[in-house]
This record gives sequence, structure tokens and C-alpha cells, in this order.
Amino acid sequence: MKADLAIQEAQWVPRAAPHRHGGSTHVDVMGSWTLAAGIVGLCGAVLFGPAAAKVLLLAMLAGIGADFVVGYARGRPVVGGLSHASLTGLLLGLTLPATVPWYVPAIGAMVAVVFGKALFGGLGHFVWQPALVGRVIIQIVFWPTLSLGGDNATAPVLAPGHLLIGRLEPAVQVDMPGYTGWQRLPRPDEPALRMERPVSALRAFAEGHIPPDGDLLYTPLLRDRLPPWEDTVFGTVPGPIGATCVLALIVAGLYLIYRGFLRWQLPTAMLAAAGLAAALLPIESGGGDGWDWFPVFAVEQGRAVGVAYVLYHVTAGELMLGAFLLAGDMTTTPMRARGQIVFAAGVGVLTVFMRLYGVLEGECYWSILVMNTLVGVIDRRTKRDVLGMEPA
Amino acid sequence: MSLLLNLLGPRRGFEGGLFMPEFKAATARRPIENITADRALFVPLRLAESWQTDIVVSQGERVVRGQRLATACDGRSAHVHAPTSGTIAQFGRVWTPREGYLPCAILEPDGRNESVPRSLAWMSDSFVGQLTDRGVISPSPLAPAAEVLRRASAAGVTELIVSAMETEPYLTADLRTLVEQPGRLIDMTCEIADALGVARALFAMPYRHRRVVKRVTAEAQGRYVEVAALSNRYPQCHPVMLVKTLLDREVPPGGSPLDVGAVVIPLAMVRMAAEAIIDDIPVTHATITVAGDAVEHAGTYRVPVGTPLRALCDRVGLLGPVGQCVWGGPLTGISITRDDAVITADTSAILLFSEFEAREPVPCIHCGWCIEDCPVGVDPALLAQLESESSTDALTVAHLRACIDCGLCSHVCPASLPLSATIQRSRRRLVPGASAAEGGA
Ligand code: SF4
Ligand code: SF4
Repeated sequence: MKADLAIQEAQWVPRAAPHRHGGSTHVDVMGSWTLAAGIVGLCGAVLFGPAAAKVLLLAMLAGIGADFVVGYARGRPVVGGLSHASLTGLLLGLTLPATVPWYVPAIGAMVAVVFGKALFGGLGHFVWQPALVGRVIIQIVFWPTLSLGGDNATAPVLAPGHLLIGRLEPAVQVDMPGYTGWQRLPRPDEPALRMERPVSALRAFAEGHIPPDGDLLYTPLLRDRLPPWEDTVFGTVPGPIGATCVLALIVAGLYLIYRGFLRWQLPTAMLAAAGLAAALLPIESGGGDGWDWFPVFAVEQGRAVGVAYVLYHVTAGELMLGAFLLAGDMTTTPMRARGQIVFAAGVGVLTVFMRLYGVLEGECYWSILVMNTLVGVIDRRTKRDVLGMEPA
Repeated sequence: MSLLLNLLGPRRGFEGGLFMPEFKAATARRPIENITADRALFVPLRLAESWQTDIVVSQGERVVRGQRLATACDGRSAHVHAPTSGTIAQFGRVWTPREGYLPCAILEPDGRNESVPRSLAWMSDSFVGQLTDRGVISPSPLAPAAEVLRRASAAGVTELIVSAMETEPYLTADLRTLVEQPGRLIDMTCEIADALGVARALFAMPYRHRRVVKRVTAEAQGRYVEVAALSNRYPQCHPVMLVKTLLDREVPPGGSPLDVGAVVIPLAMVRMAAEAIIDDIPVTHATITVAGDAVEHAGTYRVPVGTPLRALCDRVGLLGPVGQCVWGGPLTGISITRDDAVITADTSAILLFSEFEAREPVPCIHCGWCIEDCPVGVDPALLAQLESESSTDALTVAHLRACIDCGLCSHVCPASLPLSATIQRSRRRLVPGASAAEGGA
């Protein structure tokens, strides 16, 4: 009988319960993260053109290549290699501006894979987010290319009508005080606009480098140095490839949250903490003659400039990229949701703190790495109570 | 829909746990079907290696349905009865998933299915005595029903919980019994509560099947059985979790509900008691779910004890080769490795899957899902690292004992690490005096 033959004893291997697995494997996890990073990368390629696509591709390929080399050196393929290496490369590419020379993303991705991941023993063993390890190492090595001062005080972004295919040079210098926003600009002949990065303006302001205009403390910053706030949300401002388009980052983050691979508490806590820190921490009021506390309550000429200032802090710079893609890496965050809240709040506050008072650039990357170091402590402090035992 | 119901459902219970995909649609609506014995039955003469029974029939003897084949030598074993009428062809050994090889009687059915004349059979009048006479057992923990009740009385329990929570996927035997005979189950619960003299009797069932809940509640109207409808978040079916949810008492690590003054009885025991006492037939059949993607007619069946797996497969039909066979639920069950296994009285389900789910484990990626979902709150990732240790501290021992072997951690782990199996092994190795079955769901 058919049914009798169907049972083949040899196939029945003993195994321990459970006999059915849940839906997701580490391959799904990596795949979804890569997809989310890919969404953001795509938007970056639209905003910064082929140069950005080149940086991302180079970073990915270099990451995959480095993983192969590591696997070859170890004599066996690296676990979860392809997907995790390409994810690391992609994330590293997202933290770079599109104008970097070709060797920066390539070396960065290799450094990330070799020093960030392989040195610790591969998938699941590293302490610091590998892409960020690569990022801070190349930030130090290629200081002139990646610093925000000097030649890099201004940076390009594609102009209206030139998206996706435009080149970043030659660029037309934007006169900030008269700038009414990217969308209202008539289509210029040059394919790109050059302007100050919003985050550089915020840093300069915190250091008191933007002189007040009579009584007005915040207005000179908002009026003369920053693009309209919508621009920082749509991403039409200069900055790292993946960090400017907040909308894409939110979509990517929501996708990850929906798949269950990112806990919603983490980005929420991080952004809330960063917003709170920006709202409360004092800034040096022009000329260095004292501190201005609680900027969020500032009102000038009947406008709530303080609130605008806080909103810029949240959307400009790498905070959003950090919250939705960089900080949430499973291996380098605490295990439990409440640990992740502590972790993320720490990252948010530290980012704003370093932005206001620090000298290091890429403050969000450094804060994530600092908090990565504390994950062990946070995990130990946020243990669950075991059923039937006295809480420790 | 089920998600909404789960959200609207009563909010009490334990931390952790997981709503499982149910896979019950195929079996939940099919009535319980009787399977008649038409081929040789391999009736195990005791249910556990440690039980003591004396064979009271001889080779070649004709037996009738309900006739005793083996008597228990002491209170810790149960009598065994013939599932149908026929001839004892031989005595031999048979393989059971839980206990390995057990002595068995090979019974050739004669197809007449004659039953034993009533007057001969029973001697005892008391409730507990009747349970003993008719060989009623409790499948988990495996013990004769009378012994379960005796231990509960000795522990001085004040609450009785009957658990009809089948939160594991695929299982529907309890649900079908509730649909088909709610009155008898409530009656029997009252009897058991009387026998134990408890202050409260609770009947736990899944909130998700609200029409069944309504019917059972209607049956329980005016009786002192309280029907408690709970969310079916796995492992709500586990005694430790039931005690936590219903009574808000926490069983100490490695303990049982008896330690906190409650006894949890599986519905299967109540069902057997109802058959034994109300229908006056001894335990000769097991009501089991046969399901899985390799089964053609998945459903709940009442199968004679001793039916070989092959015969059962012929009866339910297979859709293709079976890659994996499980005795019990998909999360806590035992894998069947031989096709000559037989259905025992303590079987709750046979699951036949076309695919053997094997995933290559990778290093822990620190996702925290195992901690978040663990119902008792231990850190499975940490405990699993004890694999290579030879000794450990008191706290870790307590954690090892607190684990209830629900299997959730391995189930959710994206790195496919065999966490719960490793914890079980470590417990057996590192915890003095811990038995393999400790806690068992
Ligand atoms: S098997 Fe044990 S450790 Fe794993 S989830 Fe269940 S109770 Fe927790
Ligand atoms: S579920 Fe698996 S991968 Fe995730 S923390 Fe636990 S052991 Fe590690």
C-alpha cells in the first residue's frame, strides 16, 4: 500500500523538542536589514546621483570581498557571510558623503569587516557595530577628506531637475540668507547646489560662532544659516548619503519594526531623548558671555524659534540614520526592550551633548559606539525576575 | 480575527510567552472519530518502565473488551485492559516513544468487539477505587489517577484546576471533547473536586473559542466549578503558568503546583474518568489528534491502545513520505524514530510532517527574543552556554530548575540554536536529583 511505503524508517532522526521552528532565521533578519538599508541607499542615490550609487556599491563589494578573504584565511566560509558583509558595507556607505574618493568606502568597508567583525570572531561576537568601527577608523585615517571644516565647510546636493543623474560638480554656491528652500528654487544650469551642512550650522551656533542680531539669538541661525526645515526631512540638504532623507529612514525603520527585527522602543527612545536633550541643554549665547538654558522655550518676534531649533536638531545630522539603521543592530544592543530604551536614550543624549559641546565629528557614530561598550552592564541591570524566585 | 480576540481577551497572566500560529482549522471542526481495531494490537502491559504489573491472561486465551490483561501490583501503577475482543496471540515487547521498549500482549481482534459482562468487572464503590479499577491514568505527569489524587490530598491542596488549555499548535483533542461532551466533563470535575475536598474548582479553557466557553459555562451554571477563559498565549497550558495566571501564585523553581496548594489535572484524565465511570468502560482507548502536513484526513480520533503507528497511518491516509513524526505537541513532544511505535493510553497527539525541519545553528546574534518570550524569565542564551561547564553556582542551578521545558526559546531563536534541549541536558548533568521529566508539560 502506498501509505506503508511512504514511511521510511531511515529518515526519522531523533531530535529534541521543539519540532517546529518560528518563522525567522538569521538570514531573514540580515535580508530585511539589507533591504531597509537599501531603501535608504536608493533615496541617497536619487538625492546625490551616480556618485552616491558608486560609493554604496564600492562599499558593498569591498565588504563582501573582505568577508571572502577572511573566510579563505580561516579555511571555512564565514557564517551569514554574504548578507552580513553586504549589510555592513552598505551601512558604512550610508554614513559617507557622496563626494569621497573611491578608495574611502572601499577601505572603510574592508576595515569594518576585518576589524569590526572578523577580529571579534564573526557574526554574533562583536561588541561594536562593525560599520561604525570602520567609519570612525577611516574618519581618523582620512581626516582631511571626511572632516567638516576647511575645504569641506560646504558640500553639494543635487539641484531640482537634476535628481538621480546629475553630477555633484560643478555646483552653484547657495546664498543661505536668501534661500527659500530647495523646492522653490528655479531649475539652475549647474547640476548641484553647494551649501553648509545643517549640522555644521548647529555646531557653530552651539559654540557661539553665530553672533546675535541685537536681541535675537536664534533667528540669525534659523534665518541665515539653515535651509527650511522641510528640506532636512526630504533630504535635499548636503550630508552623508543615507542621513539626509528622513522620510526614507522612517519608512525603512517602520518596515523593520513591522518585521519584528527592530524594537519600536529603540528609535522612539533615541529620538525622544535627543529631542529632550536639545530642548534642555544650554547653548553658549553669542560672544561667550553666559549660557542660555532651555532653548525650547525661546520665543523671538512672536515665533517659537526654540521649537524649530529642537526640530532641526532631531532631523539634521546623522541622528535619524543612527536611530533607524545603525543603533538597532541586534548584536550590539541590549537583549531586552527596557535595556534598549536605556541604551537608546543614552545614545540620543550623548549625540546632542557631543554636538553641542564636543569637538568630535560624526557625534552620533561615536555615541553609539560608546553605548555599545555599556551593553553588558545594561543587560546585567535589566534582568527579568524569574518566576518563583525572590527578585535579585 | 484571532488576533483581535486575543487582544480583547482577559489581561492576566504571565510575562513572556507567544501567540502561536494554530494550524487547528483542519481538525477543530471534525467530530471525534472512533477507530476500530482490525489488525493485531500490541497492548503495552504497563505504561512506564518503573511500573509493576502482573499479567493475568495467558497465551492463546480469548479475551473480551474491557477484560483485564495485567493488574497493578501497587498504587503507583495502573491496570491494563483489552481494547477489543480477540485472542492473545503472543507476549512480546513493543516500542513506545516515551518509555522505549515495554512488555506487550499481542491481541488478534476477532472483529466481534464483545464486552465484558458488567457484574464481573468491578469491585470498588468509592470514586477513587472506581478510577483505580478502570485503570484511569493522568498523562502528564504520568501517574495513575488515584495516585494523582492521593498526592494532591497529601499535599493538602485547596484549589483544583482542570486544564483544557491546548495552546500548542495542531492539538485539538481537548477542544473536541469540550465541544462534544461538556456536561460529562463538568460532572466529572465536580466528582474529582468532591473527592479532593478542595475549596475551589477551576476549569481553564481558551477564551478564543467563545461559543465553546459559553456552552461549558452554561453547563457549569449552579455548580461550584468556575470556568476560566484564558488567552491562548503559549505556554498557558503548562501547570506552572496556569497557577500563576489563575491564582497568581508562583511555583518555586523545579517545583510543582502542589507546592503552592493547587493541583492541575489535564483534561485527558477527566475525559478518561468520565468514560470509565459514566460509560463504565475502562481505559482502553486514547483520544488523540492526528495532524500535520503529511496527513490526508487530519482529525481527532479515538484509537484503541496498542494500535501500531503503521496501522494508524493507513487509517488516516498519508499524502506523501513522512519526514518527521512527533508524539505529542510540536513544542514539547517526543520525536518518534521507529514506525513500529504504538499508541499508548497517555498519547495526546501524533503529528506527521512531510519535512524534517533542520536548521544549521549559527552563533547567537543577541536578538533577545528568547529572553523576551521565556515564560519563566530565565536567560536561555546564558543557560545554554553551560553546555561545556562541569559545575555551576546555586543561582544558575535554580534557573536551570525554573525552566519548564516549554521549548519557546528554541522555537523563536533566529540563530536556530537548540537552547531548550541544551538546557535540559545541562539540568540533568548539573542539578542534583533532577529528573528528566521534571516540570513536563
Ligand atoms: S524552554 Fe525553558 S528557558 Fe526556554 S523559553 Fe521555555 S522555560 Fe524559558
Ligand atoms: S533567541 Fe537565539 S540568537 Fe536570539 S538572543 Fe536568544 S540565543 Fe541568541
